[in-house]
Amino acid sequence: MRRDPVLLGRRQVLRGLGVGALLGVVTPAGLRAALGTATDAGASGGRFLTAGELDTLRAVTAHLLPGPSDDPDGGALEAGSAEAIDALLGAFTFDPPLVHAGGPFSNRAGATHDDMADFVPLDPIAELGWRIRLEGSQGRPERSFAGDVVGLQQLYRDGLARLAGFAAASPADRDAMLRAPETIDFASLVLSDALDVTYGPPEYGGNRGLVGWTTTGWPGDVQPRGFTAREVRELDGTPPTALDRDAARAALTRYVLGITLVDPPAG
Amino acid sequence: MSRASVVIVGSGAGGSVAAWELTRTGHDVLVLEKGRNLLPGIGTAAGIRHIPFANDEVKAGRAFENQDVVLEPRTARTQADAASDVARSFVGDVNTLPTTVGGGTVHWDAKVPRFWRQDFHGRSLYGPIDGANVADWPLSYEELARFYDVVERRLGVQGDVRAMPETTLAQAPRRRQFAMPPNPPMLAGTRLAAGAATLGYHAYPFPMAVNSRRLHGRPRCNSCGFCSGYGCPILARGSAAASFLHPALRAGARLRPRACVQRVELSANGRRAVGVSYLDEHMRERHVRADVVILAASAIETARLALLSASTAHPNGLGNRSGQLGRNVMFHLFTLGIALFADEPHAWRGPSTTFTIDDFVGPDSSAGARATGLPYLKGGICEVGGGLTLLEEADLYTVVPGTWGTMLKDAMRTSPLRRHLAGLSMVGEDLPQLANVVDLDPTIRDVYGLPVPRITHTSHPFEIAASHYFGPRLGAICAAAPGAIAAGWLPVGALAEATGGFGSPYAGPASTAHILGTARMGRDAETSVVDRWGRMHELDNVYVADGSVFVSSGGFNPTLTIMALSLRMARHLAGRIG
Repeated sequence: MRRDPVLLGRRQVLRGLGVGALLGVVTPAGLRAALGTATDAGASGGRFLTAGELDTLRAVTAHLLPGPSDDPDGGALEAGSAEAIDALLGAFTFDPPLVHAGGPFSNRAGATHDDMADFVPLDPIAELGWRIRLEGSQGRPERSFAGDVVGLQQLYRDGLARLAGFAAASPADRDAMLRAPETIDFASLVLSDALDVTYGPPEYGGNRGLVGWTTTGWPGDVQPRGFTAREVRELDGTPPTALDRDAARAALTRYVLGITLVDPPAG
Repeated sequence: MSRASVVIVGSGAGGSVAAWELTRTGHDVLVLEKGRNLLPGIGTAAGIRHIPFANDEVKAGRAFENQDVVLEPRTARTQADAASDVARSFVGDVNTLPTTVGGGTVHWDAKVPRFWRQDFHGRSLYGPIDGANVADWPLSYEELARFYDVVERRLGVQGDVRAMPETTLAQAPRRRQFAMPPNPPMLAGTRLAAGAATLGYHAYPFPMAVNSRRLHGRPRCNSCGFCSGYGCPILARGSAAASFLHPALRAGARLRPRACVQRVELSANGRRAVGVSYLDEHMRERHVRADVVILAASAIETARLALLSASTAHPNGLGNRSGQLGRNVMFHLFTLGIALFADEPHAWRGPSTTFTIDDFVGPDSSAGARATGLPYLKGGICEVGGGLTLLEEADLYTVVPGTWGTMLKDAMRTSPLRRHLAGLSMVGEDLPQLANVVDLDPTIRDVYGLPVPRITHTSHPFEIAASHYFGPRLGAICAAAPGAIAAGWLPVGALAEATGGFGSPYAGPASTAHILGTARMGRDAETSVVDRWGRMHELDNVYVADGSVFVSSGGFNPTLTIMALSLRMARHLAGRIG
């Protein structure tokens, strides 16, 4: 189970900052068209971000999850990740808000209708939580019960402002900009959000062409078809991705911090 | 009293079972649920339909059914913090459970092992442990067995008695075969089960409330893989909502979602509850009268509500003259084993895991165990053959700061820790301690304006030692699995403890939905909060029907036992008030 990423680290003191005016409300059915327009237009702004901010965010996400020509497979740019993050920041410009995709099925595994594209309405209490998360407490008493909260919109606005010039910088300079002490927390935030929309269901606006799933061998949502008993019990016939002992040990050592290795028998 | 009015606070495992039994026996039941209703059609003739849950990793991380910690944060600190008067050292997600109609079983793993005979007599059988508050339960396995039977029948449980170890059947005897045969065995589990067998351990099909054939009008599981932590899109899992609350509502019980109970209201002499007050979805205060109040909000929230209900007659919290309310809070401490294979055992297909191992439940009082300085050690059952989903894998790689770019893309493509991984996790028993306590945070409030629960918790050396004692065996199983090319073990709970507790980078992987203790059951009103039936010692008509009443945590997933205890309480109550 994934844990909610909004914890204490994102609760910072708000200093009288305003919130960008909401754009016109559109239905989720118009999401794809809206996002496509934003991407294709290039110079136009997004649901929340300005055109300049969106350009910077595209460059940042493309650096974090690169595509051609830096990587053989499509990455964040091809997935439309920046546009999808912008759609989350502007979630309340959609009706219902673009927060929770619906269910039980998409139309990718045997169903005829994409239920996931029908987003779930928020009730007043849930909406309050998401307004705080996105817009911040803004000094409003009804949003400040647990202290002041800086919303994701402001975190993105401030973080992208600190990265002005990022899109024009060299790859080496880009990396240094993201690793700078004053930027690393924002880079981590963008990475977390970019992973969600690059590798999550496309209904959230990213993972275009299922690039996040086709390049990782991930089946994505499989209901209502599911897997057969044979598919559960047995190996697939396709050749596996390459992994030898050394690479396996290296992966455990690098990514599973604190692990104690136990050697399998040789042979 | 021929038809009592009963208010139940919480619609999860304990509350739904109580609602079912009390409605069935003719009482007027109102269930108040703090969360919203995400199960359209529940309680109607058409049944639950248009389920909004899906194979959706993003939604699972966006406080859909889960408690929204922006609205309802919790705070935490260690015992050392408390000794230094540190008010809190963490604010955020402290082992939260789904806050929605149906509670935690909306997205549970549905693994339903029974507790063992020995779990109910820990103090008598094995003696005290320094620094822990080990005690016997005021009931035995034999008293609970028939309630296990009833709950299992309603949930619909799969398994195979013939494959269960003799020790397990001796400790948790069963009268009959399971209602359904096991799901197709997951390949990853089969590999680890074979590894276990080479070392003399015995893996067997995990009893679980998942349909392997159509039952109770619900379809069979199609092994989609989005099980633990995800609402079932096809309702193949038994649950509090589908198996108990829905029929209770059909029989006349009433359900009020978005009803946050803020106080139990008492008679003038403080001996009886007369009802509760709650805030509705518009934050309007409401009052409802009742002959009986049942608290079933889960161990942390029930303790909090009882503390919020302090009054002149109960100055330290409802039913807390003993000072025991909130104490002994227990969380299971997990230890992981990991195996990597050259091929791809697709551990993401199936209902999380399909095998379990009981060999580390203990107690182990061998010389090796006693070398830790403790008289014995206990671990718990192992969930065998689980894996990671795509976003879980991505999260794991990016734990290492600065992991992005082609390095991250390569890792996602090659996927050593998803495509090639199979794991097992041991559900480690957590000993009760008086100093592990839930109380009210002195400053921080939730969206309802109520003090949030503050959890003070430090693991006892017992569970830390057990994790390090059994962990190498988990690693050995993984290494012995046919085809394994790398293996290891990770004391993830112990690492979280050593690196900041709930603020640790390990807190996410170590988090648990097994929340127990806080309103201990016992015969002695000086050392417990509720009696052997779940009634608060100091009140005539307030009962507790969730994990709060547990005296020990056992090494087992606790929900089946929560349900069986709730049913036992409700039958007793129905006889008393009927």
